[in-house]
Amino acid sequence: MKTRGDKVTTKVVPAHETDAERRHEHRFQVSESVARLVMRTTANNLPLSRDDRPYQWSTTTYCDTVDWSIYRQAKTGSAMQLRIREYHRTRPREVLNPGTAWIEFKDDEEDTSLKERFGVPMDSARSFLRGEPTLPNLDHGLAERAAKLLKGGARPVVVTQYNRLAYNSLDSSLRITADHNLMYFALPWAAGDGDEDPRPLGTLLAMEPNVIVEMKWYGERPHWALDLHSYLQENTKQERPSKFIVAMRWLLGDSGPEPK
Amino acid sequence: MKAAEEAIRSDAPAVRVVVVEDDHASADVLQRRLQANGMVVSVAHDGRQGIALVEELLPDLVLLDVMLPDTDGYDVCLRIKSNGATAPIPVIFLSARGEVVDKVRGLSCGAADYITKPFQAAELLARIDAVLGQARSPRVPRLIRPVERSAGSRMVARVTIADRSLSAHVEQLLAPKFDVADGEVTPDVLILEGNAAQPADAPEDVPVVRVTAAHASQDRPELTPVDAQLPRIVDLVVRERDLEGDLEAAAEALIVLASAIASHDRPSQGHSERVAARAVDIGRALGLDESTRMTIRLGALLKDVGNAKLPASLLAKHGELTADERAMLERHPLLGEEILAGFKRLSGLLPIVRHHHERLDGTGYPDGLRSEQIPLEVRIVTVADRFEALLTDRPDRPAVAEAEAVRILQGAVARGELDAAVVAALATQIRAAGAK
Repeated sequence: MKTRGDKVTTKVVPAHETDAERRHEHRFQVSESVARLVMRTTANNLPLSRDDRPYQWSTTTYCDTVDWSIYRQAKTGSAMQLRIREYHRTRPREVLNPGTAWIEFKDDEEDTSLKERFGVPMDSARSFLRGEPTLPNLDHGLAERAAKLLKGGARPVVVTQYNRLAYNSLDSSLRITADHNLMYFALPWAAGDGDEDPRPLGTLLAMEPNVIVEMKWYGERPHWALDLHSYLQENTKQERPSKFIVAMRWLLGDSGPEPK
Repeated sequence: MKAAEEAIRSDAPAVRVVVVEDDHASADVLQRRLQANGMVVSVAHDGRQGIALVEELLPDLVLLDVMLPDTDGYDVCLRIKSNGATAPIPVIFLSARGEVVDKVRGLSCGAADYITKPFQAAELLARIDAVLGQARSPRVPRLIRPVERSAGSRMVARVTIADRSLSAHVEQLLAPKFDVADGEVTPDVLILEGNAAQPADAPEDVPVVRVTAAHASQDRPELTPVDAQLPRIVDLVVRERDLEGDLEAAAEALIVLASAIASHDRPSQGHSERVAARAVDIGRALGLDESTRMTIRLGALLKDVGNAKLPASLLAKHGELTADERAMLERHPLLGEEILAGFKRLSGLLPIVRHHHERLDGTGYPDGLRSEQIPLEVRIVTVADRFEALLTDRPDRPAVAEAEAVRILQGAVARGELDAAVVAALATQIRAAGAK
């Protein structure tokens, strides 16, 4: 901390989390009753995630360019998502609110993904979105790729909100989550002014009627998790693309074939 | 029904409740119990009907079952809380599901309370009272329309001064020209003492006069002394606000002029009015305030006023334009800006007039602006303009249906021309209108 006149400035050291290696990621859209059974089994075998309060609201703001380059790549099964995540006890009706923001980069390929994220004050997240060098480029080089996307005009365009129940193994090799009340919102393209204010959510594009269960893992899974995976496959209503792809399809009215 | 009628007759503000409960017997028991306590109760038996009732009646409270035949109560609650008009209405869940996760989930959806069945009536009523008490706190605006006054009635001042003798003095001074408002009537002017905060329930657009018991002071020129000059000063403040209304009338005259010009072009007759109405609807769906919607409306009505400076033969031409003709036509945003630049009060509309043919990818005209450089109000008018144009027969193509027009605009979004969120707001409106 240093003083400059009567102003005090604090150097922001971002909290940093990253996957040790690429994780498998499977998503299932299941009924409420199936989700209850799945999460009961999960609760018997895994502890609740320390960082996720049960049923807290997760608000994720996704970025893309004017020509939708991230979405177009995502539809091919390989893309890097750039997003800002916020957590709240009650559902906010705005995004980019004051408080802690998690700048997340997620590199998707076929059925694996690699995620890195930085917890920073929202002001720093806004600076990052404006293309200012806010974050160190660690581990997988995702921050550098994200900076290129921002330089190419990527900006917040669409938002998801949901209640999440998350269970995590102690070594983080297995994570199972259930997302309820999943909602997709449009976000009008940012105007140059008023950049410091929270931005109101645009139109509610859609609500998921069911529960999205996700299983993420690397390495060997225990037997119960393999059984649970089979049970989920048998009871899945629909193959699920990522939330980003579903949100963008709603946003753009894109009824093309669903990517696997 | 009798209890409700009695509540209305007694002049007490009856509490209006919507009950969403699929079990008819339970709903009936609940309805009778609430009516016996002076509440006006409407019942829906599924989620869709419940949302429709809430949007129509704007009740004081919603009692919501979790398990419904068509959806679940969480979904209904989230839809109520996602709609700006119904979001402030408190929701209480009534459910047989009593696990902690159910309660946490219900409350996280925005419910004010979660009561497990079976419940005691006394507890339910106590919780309803507590929730309504909170909802009526001054910080939460109630969903009551302000009382309208007849034209020609005296001006109304609302005096909010803590010092009783000063308050009485102010009211006495104003009495020859002003009525003193109670809380129900929207005042023309608000009188406050010194730097006192504006009351939470005071309308935002009412002018404020701040007064002081002391003599006029150069140190505090913003404070008006309470003396014989006070009525004249308050009167001037109200007239200044009315003058702004007159300027809006001047803008209306310009709109008539713009419409007259447009009437030479048969296919575009009434186009500006339709664009303005559509743009205002989109602005409302995006949560823009009334003042911004007014700017959008006026901007949409006047966006083509620059055509007045173009040759009538060019505007009336059917068939393909030459490159020179096209270049001339594409000057109409600049010409419109020139016409309106002299009207200082209309400066807020100029970006709409100048930029309504810009595109997010920078391929529009006249300035080739890109994405963030184009204000949201402009993007809304652009979408409304292109949508309404598609619904009209043109010499080079027939009109298309609304759903097809939305698909065409979504194609323009995919090409990077239009704001996806604005088109999505339009698409949602068209879908909702089609479902009715």
